[in-house]
Amino acid sequence: MTLLLSSLFVCAASIFLMLALARFKKLSSYVFLGSLIASCLLGFFCAAGVLTHQITDLAFRWRGTIPFEEFYIAIDPLSAFFLLLLFILSLAAGIYGFGYLRDYKGARNVAVHFSLYQLLILVIALVLTARNAVLFLVAWELMTVVSYFLVTFYNEKEEVRQAGYLYLIATHTGTFCLILMFFLMGVHAGSMNFDQMALSAYPLGFAGLLFVLAVLGFGVKAGFIPLHIWLPQAHPAAPTHISALLSGVLIKIGIYGLIRLMTIVGNFPLWCGILLLAIGIISGVLGVLYALGQHEIKKLLAYHSIENIGIITLGLGIGLIGHIYHQETVSFIGYAAALLHTFNHAVFKGLLFLSAGSVIKATHTGEMDHMGGLLKVLPWTGHLFLVGSLSICGLPLFNGFISEWLTFRAFLEGVFHFDLYGIMLACIAIAALALIGGLAALCFAKAFGAVFLGTNRSSHPADYKEGDLVLQAPQLLLAAICLWGGVFPAVMLSYAFEGARPMTRLTAPEFLQEAVLNPAFMVTKVLGLAVIFFLVLWLVRKISLCSCTIDRKETWGCGYARVSSRMQYTASSFARPVLRIFRLPVSFKVESRISRGYFPTGAGLSSSVKDASEIFIFRPVFYFIKKLSRALKWIQSGFTPYYILYILFLLVVLLIWKLH
Amino acid sequence: MSSLILHLGILLAFPPLLLGVITKTKAFFAGRRGAPLCQPYYDIFKLMRKGSVYSVTSNWIFRLGPLISTAVILAAGIVLPIAVFKAPVQFGGDIILFIYLLGLARFFMVLAALDTGSSFEGMGACREATFSCLSEITIFLNLTILALLSRGLSLSGIFLGGLASSWMQVGPVLILVAASFFLVLLSENSRIPVDDPETHLELTMIHEVMVLDHSGMELGCILYTQALKLFLFGSMLVSMVLGLMPRNVWGQGLYFILGILGLGVVIGVVESAMARLRLNRVLYLLYSALIFSIFALIVILVRGHV
Repeated sequence: MTLLLSSLFVCAASIFLMLALARFKKLSSYVFLGSLIASCLLGFFCAAGVLTHQITDLAFRWRGTIPFEEFYIAIDPLSAFFLLLLFILSLAAGIYGFGYLRDYKGARNVAVHFSLYQLLILVIALVLTARNAVLFLVAWELMTVVSYFLVTFYNEKEEVRQAGYLYLIATHTGTFCLILMFFLMGVHAGSMNFDQMALSAYPLGFAGLLFVLAVLGFGVKAGFIPLHIWLPQAHPAAPTHISALLSGVLIKIGIYGLIRLMTIVGNFPLWCGILLLAIGIISGVLGVLYALGQHEIKKLLAYHSIENIGIITLGLGIGLIGHIYHQETVSFIGYAAALLHTFNHAVFKGLLFLSAGSVIKATHTGEMDHMGGLLKVLPWTGHLFLVGSLSICGLPLFNGFISEWLTFRAFLEGVFHFDLYGIMLACIAIAALALIGGLAALCFAKAFGAVFLGTNRSSHPADYKEGDLVLQAPQLLLAAICLWGGVFPAVMLSYAFEGARPMTRLTAPEFLQEAVLNPAFMVTKVLGLAVIFFLVLWLVRKISLCSCTIDRKETWGCGYARVSSRMQYTASSFARPVLRIFRLPVSFKVESRISRGYFPTGAGLSSSVKDASEIFIFRPVFYFIKKLSRALKWIQSGFTPYYILYILFLLVVLLIWKLH
Repeated sequence: MSSLILHLGILLAFPPLLLGVITKTKAFFAGRRGAPLCQPYYDIFKLMRKGSVYSVTSNWIFRLGPLISTAVILAAGIVLPIAVFKAPVQFGGDIILFIYLLGLARFFMVLAALDTGSSFEGMGACREATFSCLSEITIFLNLTILALLSRGLSLSGIFLGGLASSWMQVGPVLILVAASFFLVLLSENSRIPVDDPETHLELTMIHEVMVLDHSGMELGCILYTQALKLFLFGSMLVSMVLGLMPRNVWGQGLYFILGILGLGVVIGVVESAMARLRLNRVLYLLYSALIFSIFALIVILVRGHV
């Protein structure tokens, strides 16, 4: 606990220092870099220490300091697991941000931005360790507000302000549900402390109500479809390192909140598990389909976050259903899979956002159809993006595979241990997961292929510059974690199972070895064999090519003499067939303008997907609210005597009510 | 170690023969004498000795992609039992690894195609990725059903002995799964009616147009990988249909060899008797494979036999 507190202290101290030094741009940036590294390392060691049982003082109470309630924070393995990913990712994203904003020439004060960044780390750590509902809600709100300011860094742009506004409104709406939920729980348990809340028993119906409130409240943050509408707007609007943090950490805090509720309440009716599965399937499949329809790389990545939240939710769902069916093994694997995927997604999505940021920095555009052939000019960024793509598709050798394997494993165990109804649910989820996997691979083949392979489609290609070491180092760190997590998965697996321990009655070690670690070792063995096969083939190729000739020619253009780079398959055309198959759920439309006549000009083609939840759910609701507000506008006359009259009127009403 | 070498030996030696059998069958139906059975071997060896032509657009992905995909599919073969031989590496959940390894191989082939910057290859890559999305669901569902019937999470458990008793109890389920599996086999290995490697028009192809620009050793690798993948799918299908047991090695082994040659003949007959489907019809084929396996699942759930 001392480690964590000292890490938070470094954060807090650096905020004041940076604000004091705000006029010296360079100095405050270096203060940021130093304090970031110090606080993240301290926090990281604390989290790892808790997960390996080396740290034993786990709580810190400080009575009577905030109104009504005490300041009570504690770390359990679950918090520690999320702290781990918080500190790793904010370290990487922070260093990248330091490099990214170094040559920023705009009007914003970078020191303020950096101190807000530190403040965000601080309040997220508070959210993760708070053991008191009031403290939790205060930290939660702070987190929303601080991240709002970080997202709207480029607030001179109209769309950035819009996106930030949407983000603020959406998450506030979620917080409303959370306040209601914690209020109900507090009244029921007679205390706002999580410990006390966990002791009281909740009737199933009441637990269901709490669960729905939690899904609404935390789901907005996590980006469950259809509550996700802020997500694809906010990610492209934010600076790159903030998008990485949003996608890697912030939306995971929603998942953390949901899991925390599950540890407190304990027993839920079956439909809660089914609800989670349904959310997981819908978010996963629709998320990846929307991603396929995007033309802007950051937006594509943002929709992929929704897809991965779907996979995580599927893991949570099978965990909860296993718990309800009293199949603790299934439940344990499911929860651990969800946690592991949370971590892995934070790492590879952070990597992808950072390398996409480097691409955008070099090309000054996010449109994938204006890029191409960048692997030759941006080799580092390209290969790092490739590592991220392989990981996010869950392909073997990288960490994404291990967590997807574990999720599948949980469902297959479910197929063996559930009754017929449960088997049906598990099979539907397996089919959905398989579909998500295939579509994700297609989507990243599209993204990587369009951006880095082929030749440049841009009408005026410039000489692109690769970023320097400050930008590469955090990406290299994350890529290394991706590879390490895929080749030597044992450490992260045992951390994930340790993190999932608060949710089940099983203890990890003996069960872990048999069911998970041995197979994971076998996976490594098979991958090792694959690498050996590849090396042998490569050697054979080397030897055989010694005696043969190698020609280098232009790509064959079917005999056409004037091949241009605009004839390549674009990202949009690559995604078109699969979007045509699923055109109904994503309302995929292709519009073409064919001009006729002897001198045709101005032909064009555009394809788009439409977010159904925005059109069919949020737009009507907001329209209704707008209409209602307009109808009540006459109250706000802007004339002071009227307002005094309102106050008087209210006082009279209160007086009458009190007298009765 | 010895089992690994034996397994690798089978995987390296046997698959091209399957292609030879298919070609021979097709030649028989066309009334020709056809290429010798061993022609695929000659082709692979010939290509291995040839030089390559690379596009100036391409990177290492184009050059090494086929090699990676060969290595990965060979590794996938390591977790699959073949005939009466258990897989050298087996563990609970290797089903998932197997499918994902196929996915990894495909991912690199798709990237290698996009690496050329040719619109033909982009088209092929796009089709391959699209159709495989749908067939992947079917493979997963089929394997889940088989796992459920044999109560094992490892491929060796499922295909060696796990299904022998199921034929008596839930035969119809296995027939449905086999039918669905056969359709997936055709589409995943780019056979007629999904894809026709021998057509003269690139616009209508799927897999073949994706590998249009490869040459020399890479093309040899691609040819071998195609045969290997067909062999792996075929061996799953044959093991399932015959319900092999790990005892009575010689008899069962003979059954297996006859089965897989028979499969080659069946594929040849299908290829001779059918024309290639139009591209948008391919989807219906994949849908029907999916529906077969959903029906199989429903039969299991209704009978309550688990």
